[in-house]
Amino acid sequence: MSALDPTTPSAPKWAGRAWRPFALTLPALLLLAAVIGYPLLTIVLRSLSEPQWGAQNYVWFFGTPVNLTVLQRTFVISAWVTLVCIICAYPYAYLMTAVGPRVRLALVLCVLIPFWVSGVVRTLSWVILLQDSGVINSLLRSAGFDGVRLIRTQTGVVIGMAQVLLPFMILPLYSVMKGIDLRLMRAAQSLGARPSRAFFTIYLPLSLPGVYAGAIIVFILALGFYITPALLGGPRSTMLSTLVQTQVLSLLQWGRGGAMGVVLLVATFVLLALAAPVMRSRYREAGRR
Amino acid sequence: MRLKFGHAACVAVLLTATAALAQSKPVAGAVAEGSLKGKTLTFVSYGGIYQDGQAAALKEFVDKSGVKLLNDGPTEIAKLQAQVESGNVTWDVVDTDDLPPYVYCGKLFQKLDLNKLDVSKIPEGQVGECSVPAMNYGVVLMYNTEKYKDNPPKSWADFFDTQKFPGVRGIDGSGSPTGGLLEQAFKVAGGDPKAMTVADIDKAIDVVRKLGPDTIFWKTGAESQQLAESGEADMLMMWTGRAMTAVKNGAKYTPAWQDWLVVMDQMTIPVGVKDTDASYALINAYLGKHSQEVLAEQTSYTPINSEAQPKVDASVSAFLTNSPERQKQGYKQNFKFWVPNFAVAQEKWSALMAGN
Repeated sequence: MSALDPTTPSAPKWAGRAWRPFALTLPALLLLAAVIGYPLLTIVLRSLSEPQWGAQNYVWFFGTPVNLTVLQRTFVISAWVTLVCIICAYPYAYLMTAVGPRVRLALVLCVLIPFWVSGVVRTLSWVILLQDSGVINSLLRSAGFDGVRLIRTQTGVVIGMAQVLLPFMILPLYSVMKGIDLRLMRAAQSLGARPSRAFFTIYLPLSLPGVYAGAIIVFILALGFYITPALLGGPRSTMLSTLVQTQVLSLLQWGRGGAMGVVLLVATFVLLALAAPVMRSRYREAGRR
Repeated sequence: MRLKFGHAACVAVLLTATAALAQSKPVAGAVAEGSLKGKTLTFVSYGGIYQDGQAAALKEFVDKSGVKLLNDGPTEIAKLQAQVESGNVTWDVVDTDDLPPYVYCGKLFQKLDLNKLDVSKIPEGQVGECSVPAMNYGVVLMYNTEKYKDNPPKSWADFFDTQKFPGVRGIDGSGSPTGGLLEQAFKVAGGDPKAMTVADIDKAIDVVRKLGPDTIFWKTGAESQQLAESGEADMLMMWTGRAMTAVKNGAKYTPAWQDWLVVMDQMTIPVGVKDTDASYALINAYLGKHSQEVLAEQTSYTPINSEAQPKVDASVSAFLTNSPERQKQGYKQNFKFWVPNFAVAQEKWSALMAGN
């Protein structure tokens, strides 16, 4: 009944105004400000103000060798994970574009189902697979090979992280690849290019935006990984998040923990800024072709 | 008349005496009927079967007092600090590790008024300024009986001796350093743990580092148990509860009890709780004989009421640490040293954990 009430305005006053689209993003912006902006600001402030105002926490960070080793290691492991993800995801995403709708659905499910399982569960499954007396090593031994040390090594951590992060690489790749006209490949071959030549000069450049998008997502997510390196790694594969955890939860040094977070964030931005020009030029190149 | 007067006087004296007793001398495990009706207490611990057992141990208290008991966890000192800082403390009684109540006594944890608790049955030397024990357990050296057969390791010195006892070691890498283990390591380096200095922490950690790159630092109790059951480590530093479960599950491991490290969880009351007396009432009930028996039966941790006689089977009692023999073999860490040096030790230990 109230809808028919003549005093109810039929449309909001701002309807039709130019800034309406921005108003629509307001809920998302407010949410981001509340759950990302504010905490981030607090972290930065605390890193500069605890226990006193000053750069002490940053001085401590760069003056402690273990922090620098671990920071570097965090980037190296993340880079390896990104590389492994690209290698595994690329053919998979291509296959998704090449098959019929039913098989594609099956392939999508194969990517997404593990995605719905908690990261902890998947990591623990990797423990069972990778450990010295685990599935992989038992198979190797029964086939007459020597066992390999996988758990508590960097290799084990990279394998586990790559599996957890694979969907983030496959999905952007697929969304770019499905837009590539496969007739271009046929055209190239009809003009005398060998399949490999056609792939490297046509398909690969056109798919690069997907590779970049996936790589950035995977790399950045990998930098903050905590559970997987903690469970699959040993001391030599400890990542920065573990050190942050020690400072914050065990030593109550929130300033130091904050400083570590800020250093990681800034380092990531710097790296992305360095990579951006390369990617932009590639994008344009890909667009031109 | 005189008789009557005498009788009345007698009753009066008795009444005052009991009233005074009831006020100044609480009895562990006792709780007044309906005393906390309408109140809510939040108890915080580490979850799993441990907290389930604690909840079972507190059931009688809940039923009698009429309190509504909420369980929360896991205990994180950082979370507690956030509550205390913001002046909104929702955790009324908190079960913590060994050291935090000493390190943050008066800052995050209230100094306890021992007139409100009956601590008479607690093993000697375990009541702190800000804490009473929640249970006892041990960190024990477990070794693979098939690997070492006739020449088993007997002490932590053997644990650190990879020449005489080759094999993979597993060490608690769940976060904080274990003071007792570092003291044992320092002994191996030729030092005297009772006269340890800050510089000696490095020497102790070096002994651990020298165990080599094959050393496994387990992150969780479950992982240590799994290492024993799969036989991946030859000697393991383990919590007694996990050691017991591993052996029950068929792990071919046996403890070397000499110098097992005495550890405990602590019961604390945070600074700024809304109803301090209710928190005291909970802890006092928890310390009771019956509660401690229930706790031990459900969790197989060692009760901290010396009169408690839990009914447990042989596999469990083999790992309880309160028998006279075990009490004699136990090694107590140098609390006075570790409390002020907790942060330094943690830094150095973390560096080792991060591969440096």
